[in-house]
Amino acid sequence: MVLNYILRRLGLLLFMMFTLSVFTFSLSYLFPGDPLSNLSGISNTSFSQTSELQEKYHFNDNYLMQYFAFITRIVQGDWGVSFASGDSVFTHIIELFPATLELSIYALIISVVVGVPAGIFAAAYHRRWPDKLVNSTTLVGYSMPLFWLALLLIMVFSLQLGWFPMSGRMGLLYEIPYQTGFILIDIVLADFPYSGLAMLDALHHLTLPTIVLAMYPTTVLVRFTRDSMLHVLEQSYIKTARAKGLNRAQLIMHHALRNALLPVIKQIGLQFSTLITLAMITEVIFSWPGIGRWLIDSIYQRDYPAIQGGLLAVSMFVILATIIAELTYTLFDPLSRNQAHGKV
Amino acid sequence: MQLLDIRNLTIELRTSDTVIRAVDRVNLSLKEGEVHALVGESGSGKSLIAKAIVGVLNKRWHITADRMHWRGVDLMRLSNEQRRKIVGSDIAMIYQDPSRCLDPTAKIFEQIAETLPEITGSGFFLKRNRERKDRVKALIHKVGIKDHQKVLSSYPHELSEGVCQKVMIAMAIARTPKLLIADEPTTALESTTRAQVFRLLKSLNQLKNMSILMISHELEEIINWSHCMHVLYCGQMVEAGPTQRIFTQPRHPYTQALLKSLPDYEQGLAHKEPFYALKGTIPTLQHLPIGCRLGPRCPQAQKACVVTPPLTKQHGHSYACHFPLIKVMK
Repeated sequence: MVLNYILRRLGLLLFMMFTLSVFTFSLSYLFPGDPLSNLSGISNTSFSQTSELQEKYHFNDNYLMQYFAFITRIVQGDWGVSFASGDSVFTHIIELFPATLELSIYALIISVVVGVPAGIFAAAYHRRWPDKLVNSTTLVGYSMPLFWLALLLIMVFSLQLGWFPMSGRMGLLYEIPYQTGFILIDIVLADFPYSGLAMLDALHHLTLPTIVLAMYPTTVLVRFTRDSMLHVLEQSYIKTARAKGLNRAQLIMHHALRNALLPVIKQIGLQFSTLITLAMITEVIFSWPGIGRWLIDSIYQRDYPAIQGGLLAVSMFVILATIIAELTYTLFDPLSRNQAHGKV
Repeated sequence: MQLLDIRNLTIELRTSDTVIRAVDRVNLSLKEGEVHALVGESGSGKSLIAKAIVGVLNKRWHITADRMHWRGVDLMRLSNEQRRKIVGSDIAMIYQDPSRCLDPTAKIFEQIAETLPEITGSGFFLKRNRERKDRVKALIHKVGIKDHQKVLSSYPHELSEGVCQKVMIAMAIARTPKLLIADEPTTALESTTRAQVFRLLKSLNQLKNMSILMISHELEEIINWSHCMHVLYCGQMVEAGPTQRIFTQPRHPYTQALLKSLPDYEQGLAHKEPFYALKGTIPTLQHLPIGCRLGPRCPQAQKACVVTPPLTKQHGHSYACHFPLIKVMK
């Protein structure tokens, strides 16, 4: 039963990947300029180079052959070269993506750790002052523009108080060899004599961007958890459980929480796409060397191969994350495990 | 000894501009080992009364009562925690939509097991665990489920309504309560399961001396085995008393209409013969008539009916009507 479900999900994944690849492939023809140089990233070619490229990209064949050649190159890791740097787009993505991922994951962890308990707390004290406090705080956080919050935090904590650095990922004093791309893991792996200090420095650099990035998902999760909890507390099985003589703690721990947190798991997965988008803005503001900043720079420089590659990588990742969240949800929820066929 | 004694129970819904009185000064008293039936059309406030006794009504509802005594203890004066303890150990309730009253994400075994009273006495964790399993199995056999292995390891959505209702009953009797409140326990069930559930409740009453407050609109089922009957109309208690007396001598026009509406198959019904019914429909809660709420529909209504009739009591048979049907029945 579960296997069947996973297979169906994988089918969906394949289909989404296919649509995505078709879209990315057609981008090089839709972008202004020569499709060949948009695809390969090599411009101002001589005649012999052009014919070589035409051969490689199957440009004299029909679109279908060109698409298959495109897919083959994507799988092989040959994503063309960037106009701006002349380096392989794929290497750029491999180097930059972990930085974005690291920031997003920490922000997501913070939003879950803060958001879910706050939502439960607000629901437990429904219509009393803790609820009102949480509600109004989240409303402020929810409606505050991200860049404005980032600038405010930089002004207060970096410029005025000087507690946190303004930008970057690491102080200039430390040189961390690239291994996984996750800075905290790299520091541990590098095994310096001064790794404790380096770790502290990295955490200092991480603090402000993580707070800024976590703000939106946290507020969404607080409100979602609160609503979900209130909804569950209204259900008749909660009333039955109360009539059975369970006390408040047992009621919440055994019945309310499990049912209320199920939709929250789904919501966390959905938050990932928003998070990646917000991470791009955060990266620009804090000069964080991640894929978002690189992508925005590429857009400014009309670096079409880079835009294409970056879009493909980010959207593939978001789709994967969503499907993984959905699978987790299904593993926990007995009701959705044997749903009718044809339901997505 | 009076098990439950309720005087002037009023349940109100306070909206911003008006107060809607869904249950209006209802009296109810119940002795140990008795089966009482609470009868009325849907929307007459039967379920509200039951939920008010157990204490699971929403905070929107405002409950007042002159007294609500459970074995001499006034439930209204207790704190939430004390009340929950008393109600949890002595009163159990089963509902009309059993599958929605079971936690959808917990297996049946866990749900029954947590209802069991704490297993006291020495013994290791494993031993207590085994005892718990045995008790759950015994309970589930008692309510007539033979395939315990399959049912206990299922989630509620995998079971039929009938089995869910039996599970609900198993949970209800797990703490051997003194009073079982059954809120239309058979509406969602098919007729064979319905008969099984009634038989089960009947045997619980006779063998365990468990009192039952039965909320139902299936009069035929109740007539045979309930000791007392309370008839509600629009939140007002119109007539209450021993079931046999009410059936042979209804004093209130509403009760009479209710009994007349039962098809009498013995006399032979003509083809497509209309059933007897009062004219009109139940008023909505926002537009309740003043005085006797049956007034506009009552065949006997007169001018005096705009004043709420007082409760008249004769030999344990009470009715609230200005013009009771004494002469008519003779």
